[in-house]
Amino acid sequence: MSTPGTADAPRPFTPRDPETFFKAQRRNRRATWRMSALCIFAAFLMGIPLTLVLTPFLYAVTMVVAEVINHFSPLPAEFWQNASDLAKLAYRVADVLINQRGTVDPQDLAIGLALVLVPGIVLSLVLWVGILLLFRHGGVGGTLASLNARDPNSADLKELQLSDVVQEMAIAAGLPVPRMMLIDAPGANCAAIGTSATDAHIVLSRRLLDDLDREQLQALIAHMIASVGNGDLRIAFTVTSVFETCGLITTLINAPFGKQSRSTLWRIIRYPFRRGTAIARCADADEVAELLADTMDVNSTDIERFFDSGNAGLIRKTLRVVFFPFMFTNMAIELTLWFFLNLLLGPCMALLWRTRRYLADAGAVELTRNPDALASALQQLSNDTTAIAGGSWAAHLFVVNPSGDRSLRDIAPATDRQRKALEVWRATAKGAVGASSAVSNVVPITGVGLGAYADLRKEIMSTVKAAAAGDADAVARMQGFAAAMGGVQALGLKEMPNPKDIMLAQQGDRAAIARIRMLMQTGDRDVQPKRGQTGLQTHSFVSFHPPLEKREKRLQKMGAHLLVPTPTRGGMALKVFLVLLYLLIVPLLTVAGVLMLVVIALMICLNLLFLGLWLSVIHWAFAQDWGQNINAFEGFVEQVSAAFSKGR
Amino acid sequence: MDTVLIVISVTVVLVLWFVLHVYNGLVRMRNDVRNAWSDIDVQLTFRHDLVPGIVASVKGYMSHERQTLEAVAQARSAAMVTGADIGTRAVAEMALGRAVGNLLAVAERYPELKASQNFLILQEQLTTTENRIAFARQHYNEMVRQFNTSIAEFPRNLLAGMLGYSPEKLFAADAQDRAAVQVTT
Repeated sequence: MSTPGTADAPRPFTPRDPETFFKAQRRNRRATWRMSALCIFAAFLMGIPLTLVLTPFLYAVTMVVAEVINHFSPLPAEFWQNASDLAKLAYRVADVLINQRGTVDPQDLAIGLALVLVPGIVLSLVLWVGILLLFRHGGVGGTLASLNARDPNSADLKELQLSDVVQEMAIAAGLPVPRMMLIDAPGANCAAIGTSATDAHIVLSRRLLDDLDREQLQALIAHMIASVGNGDLRIAFTVTSVFETCGLITTLINAPFGKQSRSTLWRIIRYPFRRGTAIARCADADEVAELLADTMDVNSTDIERFFDSGNAGLIRKTLRVVFFPFMFTNMAIELTLWFFLNLLLGPCMALLWRTRRYLADAGAVELTRNPDALASALQQLSNDTTAIAGGSWAAHLFVVNPSGDRSLRDIAPATDRQRKALEVWRATAKGAVGASSAVSNVVPITGVGLGAYADLRKEIMSTVKAAAAGDADAVARMQGFAAAMGGVQALGLKEMPNPKDIMLAQQGDRAAIARIRMLMQTGDRDVQPKRGQTGLQTHSFVSFHPPLEKREKRLQKMGAHLLVPTPTRGGMALKVFLVLLYLLIVPLLTVAGVLMLVVIALMICLNLLFLGLWLSVIHWAFAQDWGQNINAFEGFVEQVSAAFSKGR
Repeated sequence: MDTVLIVISVTVVLVLWFVLHVYNGLVRMRNDVRNAWSDIDVQLTFRHDLVPGIVASVKGYMSHERQTLEAVAQARSAAMVTGADIGTRAVAEMALGRAVGNLLAVAERYPELKASQNFLILQEQLTTTENRIAFARQHYNEMVRQFNTSIAEFPRNLLAGMLGYSPEKLFAADAQDRAAVQVTT
């Protein structure tokens, strides 16, 4: 840890290889293309095992339907002939590919592969397009509702300032002004939501207005507007739809087994036909999206309940036998989705999304021409609580990770700001020193430098404690200090309540007390998301938000003056230890991954085996001439009874 | 004979496609520039409308700062009568911006004025007006830069010259324009 106190001297500001914002934007655009290609490749890789599970399942269902139809109105013999030919061909190709036995000509090979791959791919694509069409006109209202967003109040100076800043930034970008919504949350964060630039909404927590000054606010809004202008909303929509498609596939497979999946499916089917206000439709869309996200949890319980419930009736028992092979299909699909989403597709999409964040950072610098403001705003947010309750489905849309990013917490602000802090602190001390015991205990600081700055922090902390205990002088001093500095969070102090709130709370203002209590509750702990509101973040091994430190470094290349310390981690011993640890962990993780793949392959094979058995049993059942059998049985009974009567 | 015909027709189609592409691009860019200019125009007019109200509301507090107040009023009327030329207009508007900024700086010296909520709102209004003009100008200049680069680049400059597209003027004051306008601050 390198705290400002331990650093020996303030280093001069020298950005390494500076980069203009135009260049940075071009570079990030290229990176986006690369990442999109990687995403498509990852989706393709994930599609192979998925289609290996889905295709046999589809064939099995088709064959059963054909058998039933055949029973009532016999299908032409050609159909059965073709089906049998295709099955034999598939068997031959599989034999060549897996056992290296026999030969197959390229045409047969192509047909065989197409037979296996095409139905799964077509099904996935159809579902994906369906999801895209379904949610094209929804989502914003629902998310807004789940965040408890409200319109800004133009009588409040800060909120008036906010709408001014938004308009300024929209003018700078030449875009339509997006709508602003405020959330009264203890965390400081903001997000752009919507499906396109025309219905974009910027959601912003009230605390952000209190903690940031005008320029910092402008920088964050510029980031949001640049993001909207770059078309990030569309990308976010596509990314979300891929995750939702995976949820839909699981739901479809689960549908025969449980109420939860069936009700989800029913809601999805009903959704496009729903009449009513736009807001109700949007809320519905949001709810459906969350249900889909919930289905994605591996420990979704529908199928377990189906096979586990103790006192099952005869019908349930029969159904269990009939649906037994589906259990393997279900498990194979859930396992595949979980594994590939978390380790392959999710991280690729997260990295894609990160390039968009860097791009929007560069765009914000282009709009404001003030890299310092964005850098200090990000630093401030690193010190603040950024958690927003509700709407974690949209967690990836927020400008800073809502579960917090502390990578910039201990960074000393730029030297001029430190000097200003020292001066202001000394100026506010005149009235307070001597009057209050808590403050006068501290030795007055002298001199300017990083050592003095560390002392300053300690002193401010003790004053904050005194203020929280109800010392009026300490409160007054903090208030004066905060007013002069434009917020104290930037000085690397942990979350502390707004001095104004402390004053109001002492006078008995309920709202202020509630705000302080909420802050205390959120504190350093992360807010635990509700089940079903996990969002995309939990489906990816890699976070959707780039680390603030990296963003800060890129801003520095564009000219921001913030000293990001080079981390000075322990000595040689620690390095050796870390290398050993990595040497141990990496092979272990690789082995675990390979084992997972083997398990998935096993599940796929079992699925094939059971589906095959299931099909042959059904085929046998339909092929039996039951009528003749019954006649024979009756004849047998008659004979027996005749024999009995004869004997008697 | 047939191959020659095919080659010729393909070339003609390609050239036509290129011309259409360039032409549409130029039209779009020029419209972007015009749009950005109308944005500036809106903001400038907004400031013209805002200034008298501001002067009226601070007059009571700072009656003996007559010179500053008059300078603002003068700069406003000077800015309102400038013609369509972008350069001279830029100079006049910048003078108005300076006069308003000066007024704000002077007003900061009056404690009773500075403490009032109305003044804070007024100050915010002025800040945002100045910022909007600055950002609209930044956007306009960026659009003009893109347009000018585009019509000067090689294959396009041929067509742009034929269609009569000429470089647009930046919203900035150069020495020639400064001389053309009598600025009193």
